[in-house]
Amino acid sequence: MDPDAVAKIFVEHYYTTFDTNRAGLANLYQDGSMLTFEGQQILGAQNIVSKLASLPFDQCKHTIATVDCQPSGPAGGMLVFVSGHLRLSGEQHELKFSQMFHLMPTPQGSFYVFNDIFRLNYA
Amino acid sequence: MEHQVEMVGRAFVDHYYNLFDSDRVSLSSLYHPTSMLSFEGQKVQGVDEICSKLKSLPFGQCHHVISTVDTQPSPFPGGIMVLVSGSLHLPGEDHPLRFSQMFHLIPIPEGSFFVQNDVFRLNYG
Repeated sequence: MDPDAVAKIFVEHYYTTFDTNRAGLANLYQDGSMLTFEGQQILGAQNIVSKLASLPFDQCKHTIATVDCQPSGPAGGMLVFVSGHLRLSGEQHELKFSQMFHLMPTPQGSFYVFNDIFRLNYA
Repeated sequence: MEHQVEMVGRAFVDHYYNLFDSDRVSLSSLYHPTSMLSFEGQKVQGVDEICSKLKSLPFGQCHHVISTVDTQPSPFPGGIMVLVSGSLHLPGEDHPLRFSQMFHLIPIPEGSFFVQNDVFRLNYG
């Protein structure tokens, strides 16, 4: 399948899951996965999902502006670079963000997130 | 290990933007034939194409000011992921352009790194 198409599908799935069923993100990470969220480093699927579940907002909506993807090397990995904005329930102003994912293939033919780095982009 | 990854990532970022701002042509030393750059959505591959693209950008002088640098080890032995955000100041322009840039660095035997993957995006206000 075309890598750009794979990246788009992953991005849609990730942010839809984030926005509707945050706990469901657990099966996108594994024990060796890493998340850096606004500078805070978290290791492993359980800790990552705990962190995401503990963010100080219940509802949110991600709107994606750009998706760039590149193959990362011979092991079949894919780098996905996203920019967009995040609207929190009750907040007037949207938060702009960038997020980088390094996806690695699973034996079942899908992908999991090995590296994940999230940053808000302040004006 | 993590501290070392962070130190190396930051040192690379400093070096990269210093070169970009003072001697853009010599960025060629940081890319290999397999390197890929996506610049504002345009994909180019290989040292020559990447350097042509960077040389052809419509400004002579520029100055990058870095706000944040995040690093993580990549799955490849010794590989490093870097996410940078900052602003780009162009001569004659009132407002700096905010940008984000992602690098995937791969170690080479001589002890330094080359850029295997590079994605650059402006962050519009």
